Amino acid sequence: MKRNWQIVKSIVLYILLTAATIMMCFPLFWMISSSLKTISETNSPGIVWIPAQPSLQAYLDLLQNPTFLRVYFNSVFTTTLAIVGTLISIAAVAYAFSRVEWPGRDIVFFVMLSTMMIPPQALIVPQYVLFNKINWVGTFNPIVIPGYFAGGASMVFLLRQSMSQIPKELDESAFVDGASHFQIWWNIILPLVRAPLATVSTFLFVGLWNNLLGPLMYLQSVGLYTLPVYTSTLYNINQTVQPWPTIMAAAVLTTVPLIIVFFFAQRYILEGVVVTGMKG
Amino acid sequence: MPDNPYINLLVTAALTVLFIIGTSYGLGALARAIVRARGGTPKHQQNTFAGYFFAAPWIIGFLIFVAVPLGLSLYWSFTDYRVTFTHAPNWVGLENYIHLITKDSGFRASIVNTLYYTIIGLPLQMGVALLLAVLLNQKMKGERVFRMAFYLPVVLGFNAAVLLVWRLMLNTGTGIINQIIRSISTSVPAIGYVVRAEIYVHEVINAFFLGITNGNFNLLHKVIETGFPAANRVPLWVQSPLWSKMPIVLLMVWGCGTMMLIFLAGLNNIPRELQEAAEVDGASSWQRFWKISFPLLSPYIFYNLIVGLISTLQIFEPIYVLYRDNQPLVPSAISMVYYLWQKTFSHFEIGYGSAISWVIMIIILIITLIQFRLQNRWVTYDIY
Repeated sequence: MKRNWQIVKSIVLYILLTAATIMMCFPLFWMISSSLKTISETNSPGIVWIPAQPSLQAYLDLLQNPTFLRVYFNSVFTTTLAIVGTLISIAAVAYAFSRVEWPGRDIVFFVMLSTMMIPPQALIVPQYVLFNKINWVGTFNPIVIPGYFAGGASMVFLLRQSMSQIPKELDESAFVDGASHFQIWWNIILPLVRAPLATVSTFLFVGLWNNLLGPLMYLQSVGLYTLPVYTSTLYNINQTVQPWPTIMAAAVLTTVPLIIVFFFAQRYILEGVVVTGMKG
Repeated sequence: MPDNPYINLLVTAALTVLFIIGTSYGLGALARAIVRARGGTPKHQQNTFAGYFFAAPWIIGFLIFVAVPLGLSLYWSFTDYRVTFTHAPNWVGLENYIHLITKDSGFRASIVNTLYYTIIGLPLQMGVALLLAVLLNQKMKGERVFRMAFYLPVVLGFNAAVLLVWRLMLNTGTGIINQIIRSISTSVPAIGYVVRAEIYVHEVINAFFLGITNGNFNLLHKVIETGFPAANRVPLWVQSPLWSKMPIVLLMVWGCGTMMLIFLAGLNNIPRELQEAAEVDGASSWQRFWKISFPLLSPYIFYNLIVGLISTLQIFEPIYVLYRDNQPLVPSAISMVYYLWQKTFSHFEIGYGSAISWVIMIIILIITLIQFRLQNRWVTYDIY
């Protein structure tokens, strides 16, 4: 009796979970399915689950469109440069907060934690004025360069926590052997925190790849647009018929890198979220 | 600076790296000199140099991108500064703040909308997150796959490109969601009645909130007068101000993965022995959830509540993608941050925009302080 009940319970559980999964992933399915349709199919009054004759026309159009290719390159280019600089500076700052004893460390660390309470949007107005003053509006600089100054206090925090757990004896014995702080940081500590570094870079990638507000404010010509900005211009409220297959194909191509990264790094992401409590 | 934007960025990035290394070295050397003058040991000197050298990128960045901008924006919030000004801004005292709080209907709309998202959206979002976490916590095969599937929307969901699929799905006439609603309500009349009742309740609630925004309740009277919706009515997701908040709530629920992971961590922390002891004593699983799991989860619930509340102030991408310039819809859905963006960058009124950002920041600080105050009171940390 009890055994039967267990079986029924797990069947119900699987049904519920599967239903939830279908609902959560439905937009993804719909995105792919719509990108293979024709315009009239996407606007038809009946439901077309899967197009009868899948057409790759939307993808071909996009891949032959020099603007789209340039926009794609812009996204890859800015994201890569931003991740490299941000990751190295965050790793350096986390080292200072975890492995070195220096006067003022606790105060500086406290100030850094307090900045996590400042909503980033509260800074967009004065930062815009600043970037306008130094003629950075209309360039990629404002969306890449601020990260080079260890942008992201929560990421520094995450990395500091992992670095603190490494036994102190490691660097002390290296010191005795005559190693400098720089050598210890680069040769001993960084290799030991590879997994947290992967977590941080995944978060940085997702944040930068999805960033809309920054690019919207600072990249003021189509040639500089990144994928989210460009794709949102494809949907134009003044058009009577939206080119949905093209929009959805652009969305699929935008999503592919995210899904690949998520697939390979999901272990790090799911753990990192719980440590920092942060949004992806 | 070179005209080519890519070379420009590369050159600027290289110069920034040199700048950071140079100033870091300077800061480290300065700190070391101070310690030496005070007679610190060589080891202490070396550590001081290294500490400041490695922490300098953050310290410099904090000064350039946070401290100075915050100070300037506080000053500007008391002036009529605009980006186009070539002369010094005029001091206007508290005028921006007074206008913002007493006369600005757009700002009032954003407060009412935030209230709506907090009262209606957040409980839904947290409820679904908790439900999914409880289901996942049953520890069966494939749990990892389900967890990934539930978290995936958080990774994708804030990308404007992905949000556009919701615009397609929510289309009133041909969108898939309304098509499904239509076909179910015609084939099963009972569900059709439920859907219509839901539409009615929803429109009354939203007309009420719009009434608070507008300062008159004409729309509410009209909705009530029209009475029970006709048989063929469907939700007007992205078409009517009565519905424009609901897609945002849907997106909040869709992106509940972060909250779910936090709850899951909370459920994992509950000692198994407690559950087993209660089971031996004959408590049903329903009782076990409410008497054991729920109280132990309260810190996590509280945390999610506060973080969720702060993030409803900041909803940006969904509103931009779904409504953008759609006039009657934008004011009925905007968040505070969206309003800040709209106000600052449509007229480039820096002074006024600064006042808005300070008000938002003060609200967030108050919420955070309340969190620290209240959490001792009703959150159970000491059951263990």
